[in-house]
Amino acid sequence: MIAIKDLKKSYNSHEALKGISFNIKEGEFYGLLGPNGAGKTTTISIMSSILTPDSGEVLINGNNIYTHPNESKRIIGVVPQEIALYNELTAEENLWFWGGLYDVPKTELKKRIDEVLTLFGLSERRKDKVSTYSGGMKRRINIAAALLHQPRIVFMDEPTVGIDPQSRNLIFEVIEKLHSNGMTIVYTTHYMEEAERFCDRIGIIDNGQIIAEGTLDELRKSSSAKETIVITFNNLNDDKVQKIQSFWKDCNHTDDKIYFYTSDLKTELSKIISQCSDAGADIHNIEIKKVNLETVFLSLTGKQLRD
Amino acid sequence: MIKLTIKDLRLFFKDKRSMLLSFALPIALITLFALAFGGAGQGKKDTKISMQVSDLDQTPSSASAMQVLDSLKNVELLKVPLEKAQENIKKGDQACVLIIHKGFSDSLTAGKELPLELQYDEAQEIQVGLLQQSLIPTIAMLPFNIGNPKAVMRNRFDKMVPGASDTVKQNIQHKSDGLFDAITMGEMQSDGNDNAGAGLFGGDIKMTKLVAAEKDNSLGLVQAVAGTAVMMLLFSVVGIGAGILDEKQEGTLKRLLYTPMNPIKILFGKMISANVISIFQLVVMFLFASLVFGLDIYSHLSGLIITIVATAFACSAFGVFLASFAKSRQQVQGLSTLIILVMSAIGGSMMPIFFMPAFMQKIAVISVNFWSIQSFYDIFWRNLPITSGTFLSRILVLLLIGTILNSLAVVLFRKNILKLS
Ligand SMILES: Nc1ncnc2c1ncn2[C@@H]1O[C@H](COP(=O)(O)OP(=O)(O)OP(=O)(O)O)[C@@H](O)[C@H]1O
Ligand SMILES: [Mg+2]
Repeated sequence: MIAIKDLKKSYNSHEALKGISFNIKEGEFYGLLGPNGAGKTTTISIMSSILTPDSGEVLINGNNIYTHPNESKRIIGVVPQEIALYNELTAEENLWFWGGLYDVPKTELKKRIDEVLTLFGLSERRKDKVSTYSGGMKRRINIAAALLHQPRIVFMDEPTVGIDPQSRNLIFEVIEKLHSNGMTIVYTTHYMEEAERFCDRIGIIDNGQIIAEGTLDELRKSSSAKETIVITFNNLNDDKVQKIQSFWKDCNHTDDKIYFYTSDLKTELSKIISQCSDAGADIHNIEIKKVNLETVFLSLTGKQLRD
Repeated sequence: MIKLTIKDLRLFFKDKRSMLLSFALPIALITLFALAFGGAGQGKKDTKISMQVSDLDQTPSSASAMQVLDSLKNVELLKVPLEKAQENIKKGDQACVLIIHKGFSDSLTAGKELPLELQYDEAQEIQVGLLQQSLIPTIAMLPFNIGNPKAVMRNRFDKMVPGASDTVKQNIQHKSDGLFDAITMGEMQSDGNDNAGAGLFGGDIKMTKLVAAEKDNSLGLVQAVAGTAVMMLLFSVVGIGAGILDEKQEGTLKRLLYTPMNPIKILFGKMISANVISIFQLVVMFLFASLVFGLDIYSHLSGLIITIVATAFACSAFGVFLASFAKSRQQVQGLSTLIILVMSAIGGSMMPIFFMPAFMQKIAVISVNFWSIQSFYDIFWRNLPITSGTFLSRILVLLLIGTILNSLAVVLFRKNILKLS
């Protein structure tokens, strides 16, 4: 349904996208997972045809979105990363305005507004100005405004950043409902929990490139991603790190922690612990991380997804 | 506490915009007003009031009379054929024309009343008044300076004492002739004031209104309403225009671009709302002036409506134009405050432009204020019909300004605002 081919985009001299390609099937929930500055918003902006790529193309249902911008805009809903609403208007007025821009007939729009307000639990506050809303409520209206024209495709750019768990759960439920109704969703996030929870397929994006792509299982099984034993030491010094690294090559070191990667946790855990004490290192804490997107990302880039 | 003060001062001096508003702007305005009131540099040289003169007499005497007038410090003499001069007044370009009628030379020699006439535009009576102040004494002295003073005295005396006997007359004539001879021979010094005789003899100029002013509306009222309305409109319209930049900053502009709507409609939407609000604002101001100060708007309704619409169009285009090349609302506001105050000062919003020196009046045409205020003068004061060429040409200029600024705004909007990268 959506085909993205080799997108490149530079801002001045900075290369924000270095050739991004992926395909999304109808009804699929596709996640773009990546840290700050990875190029998620840039990709979404190009896909919604408000930003022109330096090269590459975006096809929606086989149509190039730049030659048919309005056709694609009508079937796409975009939830921007920043809350983009008129603060001095009420929630309802905002929804009337944004829905109206898609030429939704009045009676239809009225029905849709009632629906989304109920869906997001804001019916009671509909007559209040958005400026009086909490951050979580604004986020909800921000999403609701993208759904009024019943788009078949929705792009959500980090729709849950910086909100309370209560609003977040409500938003998650709505998103799951939309997905189960057959909506095609492209969802960007830097929370791996979100990607793991929703996504049929995930593209991991870093530094303007997709560095891995697949279902959660595929990504977990991908070669270098292993289970991780994170050991925190007291008084770790370079000498001790060197000794440890000499017996266990497959590890990473940050501050007072060492990440040991293993494909056979059961047999190798005790081995690692005894060898650490042999090296004279004072173990403070041991944590075991099953393979998840965080560890996949770490193994791919050598850095944390969030810091 | 001192630390807090120092921090405030440091922040203040770092903020270029507030520096501009606190220092550069007042200095610019002071300079402007000083120039306008003629106090700057070369002193009164620049404050010349221009006066047209048409010489119908065409004699050496009339020529030398013009020379005397030309030597007046604060009058700039323009020799213009009568018809052309009258046209200038009707157009509002000139305030008046001094006509030296045929027979000037003869009257001068005979010591009779001089056939001089000042035709003027009543709407410009303040300027004409200023002119009269320097003109009347000079004209009163003309017979003494270039004419036949003895004859003048005789005639005047005849008028003063019509019943006097011939011997008395001859006696007095003899004495006054002797007095003038003495002056000419330098035995009696003039006290240095050329105009000493003015009060005594009076300057006889026939005053004729070429263009009658509207009686119901005082000049001051029209000036106050039109001047203030246009200036305030410019300020408010810039605020509306800057709304586009707010939308950019708050992300709603980007969101508008996600929709199938043509992006240029965002700008057109702003233009239309700016026009509607401007018209509304002007209507309210003129209604207020009518209700509270009795400005007669009802007998000029069609002209007023045309002027309001044209003014709103030009002013809102100005607001949208400014917003379309600035980066943020703050930038627009800094820039616009400066531009609007300068335009208002030179365009006659703060004081009538005929108070200003000639060169200032010439540069006034670059401001929106000038065209708009003059149009309001045309309707309320000069009482011109809406079909008059003068009025219509001003409206045309306003519409032209609006069209040009709107077009530039479209180009700049595409180039600056829509560019998100
Ligand atoms: N308008 C712009 N001008 C210059 N550089 C930009 C612009 N927008 C983005 N960039 C740069 O391009 C890169 C990708 O930015 P982008 O916003 O796409 O990242 P992101 O993945 O959405 O990050 P985040 O999680 O912080 O939203 C960043 O390095 C950013 O600094
Ligand atoms: Mg982003």
